Amino acid sequence: MLRRRNKIMPIIFLLPGIFFVTVFVYLPLFQNFYNSFFDFSVFSTGKVFVGFENFKELLTDKVMVAALLNNIKYAIISVILQVGFALVLAYILENKIFRKIAPFLRVVYFMPVMISISVIALLFGFVYNPQMGILNGFLELIGLEELAQPWLGNSTTAIYAVIAMSQWQSIGFIMMLFVVAIQKIPNELYEAADIDGAGKIRKFFSVTVPQLKEAIFVNTLITVTGSMLVFNEPYILTNGGPGFSSMTMSVHMYQEGFVKDNMGLASTVAFIIFLITAILALIQIKLSGTGKDD
Amino acid sequence: MKKSILIFFMVLLTIPMLVACSSSTDNTNASGEDVVEIDFFHRWPNEPRKSFYDEKIKEYEEANPNVKINVNSVLNDSYKEKIKVLVSSNDLPDIFTSWSDSFALNLVSSDKIMPLDDVISEDKEWSGKIIESQFSGFTFDDTTYGIPFTVDGKAFFYNEKVFKENNLEPPKTYEEFMAVLDKLKQAGYETPLVEGLTDKWAISHYLGTIFQRILDPAVLEKDYNEETAEFTDPGYVEGLEVFQELTTYMGDVSTAINHEQARNMFANGEVPIIYMQFAEIKMVEEIGKVDFAFFDFPAFKDGEGDPKALTGAPEGWMLSKEAPPEAIDFLKFLTSEETAFEFTKVDGQLNSIKGGVTEENTSDASLKAFELIKNASSTAPWFDNAVNIDIADIFMRGGQSLATGQTTPEAIMKEVQENVAE
Repeated sequence: MLRRRNKIMPIIFLLPGIFFVTVFVYLPLFQNFYNSFFDFSVFSTGKVFVGFENFKELLTDKVMVAALLNNIKYAIISVILQVGFALVLAYILENKIFRKIAPFLRVVYFMPVMISISVIALLFGFVYNPQMGILNGFLELIGLEELAQPWLGNSTTAIYAVIAMSQWQSIGFIMMLFVVAIQKIPNELYEAADIDGAGKIRKFFSVTVPQLKEAIFVNTLITVTGSMLVFNEPYILTNGGPGFSSMTMSVHMYQEGFVKDNMGLASTVAFIIFLITAILALIQIKLSGTGKDD
Repeated sequence: MKKSILIFFMVLLTIPMLVACSSSTDNTNASGEDVVEIDFFHRWPNEPRKSFYDEKIKEYEEANPNVKINVNSVLNDSYKEKIKVLVSSNDLPDIFTSWSDSFALNLVSSDKIMPLDDVISEDKEWSGKIIESQFSGFTFDDTTYGIPFTVDGKAFFYNEKVFKENNLEPPKTYEEFMAVLDKLKQAGYETPLVEGLTDKWAISHYLGTIFQRILDPAVLEKDYNEETAEFTDPGYVEGLEVFQELTTYMGDVSTAINHEQARNMFANGEVPIIYMQFAEIKMVEEIGKVDFAFFDFPAFKDGEGDPKALTGAPEGWMLSKEAPPEAIDFLKFLTSEETAFEFTKVDGQLNSIKGGVTEENTSDASLKAFELIKNASSTAPWFDNAVNIDIADIFMRGGQSLATGQTTPEAIMKEVQENVAE
């Protein structure tokens, strides 16, 4: 009697959760997959089945290719700066020399995370402004005026300007995660390394990095999937332009759906984004073998 | 026993969740009480129009205590996107603003827009005051779906002082225009002509007028119709080359700014020429730093289109099919002579209501523009409203890429032709 009741109870407790996840995550996911085989607009009254036409169209769509490349650039730069640089930053901040001012610096670095991305994007719109932007002003001040340019209006620099802004915003967050992880590393390890005569850099690579394996993996996962989904920054700063030089997959999806009214194609783009992020997550989980350490 | 009570409560808890999720789709107008709610959606969260409409709403609500108006507004491009979302989610506001031509046609094709023929014929006193010619952009298959309110057109505005200093005359032909731009460049204006190219619609306005001037009207009519569109005429490549040539005078700055910033540069006397709508006259006047006048888009030597045609189309109001009768009354209030007169006085944009624009409520420049609109030999719709948005997008993004030297007119036309062929 008791045993049977124990079997039912967990299921009942799980029900509300399962219910919400099903209705708000899995159902839309399948609906979206289903939609990607149709051609329809928000105005149309019916959907036309087109099979794999949408997928075929995307394969030859140069905007999609450009967008994917931009997302990859985003991911690479983000991993180097947000995971690599933020780790170094966290290590420095946790060093004994900075003990006193570390809390202050942590706040400074974390501040951008707390500002809304829309505000930051508008702010950087001014920073990059070719006429009165402080970036060009600064370059002129230090005698590098030949480097000054309309950062968001030049098709080669636009995507990097967008990426740079998101690094400025996100480094603080990842750094904070690393700070917490570093604080959990037992001090004995560093003491032992000290006795062995290890310097600061040696300690970083031989103690900190291996101890943070798990944290590095999680943060890489966050940044890479985040890079594949990035939408706000390019949408507000450049709207994918000039031309489609700073287009990302999410912006492309949005524009296909809500600007050009190709809801079917937009669903297909959404599905491909899902596929890419899911595969990346699976690969990373496989490679790092998380969960086995504990 | 306790456990079964717990299970009972768990089930109780899940029921409202299920109910709430399934019943949320059929919320109709809550007119159970005396107060009727009208959802009002417009596209001017910026001044002075926001305050104007807020005030008008207050005025109307005071006169009609049984009506409550819920207002919402988002800016231009976002408006285009949001209204589509609202249409698809069955959440269309009762009364909302709409552009004419293809934008209106798209909305109408959703079958959720109220035909206004009966409303117009029932109240001649009100509808007789609307300038007849402006209805065409809202009329499809002889049924009218919108009430035109603001009228507009586009022309090149120039800084009179700069022109005088450099002994320049407003150009009449495209060659003269090029000569003027060259002279201004020699006179030290790095950017003689400015445009905010990050606003894609600004590019479409240029292209629309250029195509209208260069191409045979019959070709345009064929290509602007989705069923017969081909876009094979060599005139399009020529037109894009013209645009490309114009962007060489726009300097580095134009690709990185929007139209509002470009207008401010003109209004502050930094740039001598801008292609701008009559609706913007008042905004430049308010900054008050330059004396300006305008000239029509210069004629092309071999242009086959009417060189006197005006690019510009009215904007107006539409009603949802399910709008309550009070919304119709509110529409009449919004398009009455008094509101129209006050509107132009406050905002500066011209309107299509007889008696709505007089020398009392508008400047000389605007009145001159109004005469031009009324007397234009023909009108061309905004390009992004005239063609299918897929095509317009290729042209507009292509225009951005042309300005940054990333593509060629031929490549853009090839893409357009491929898209049309599908």
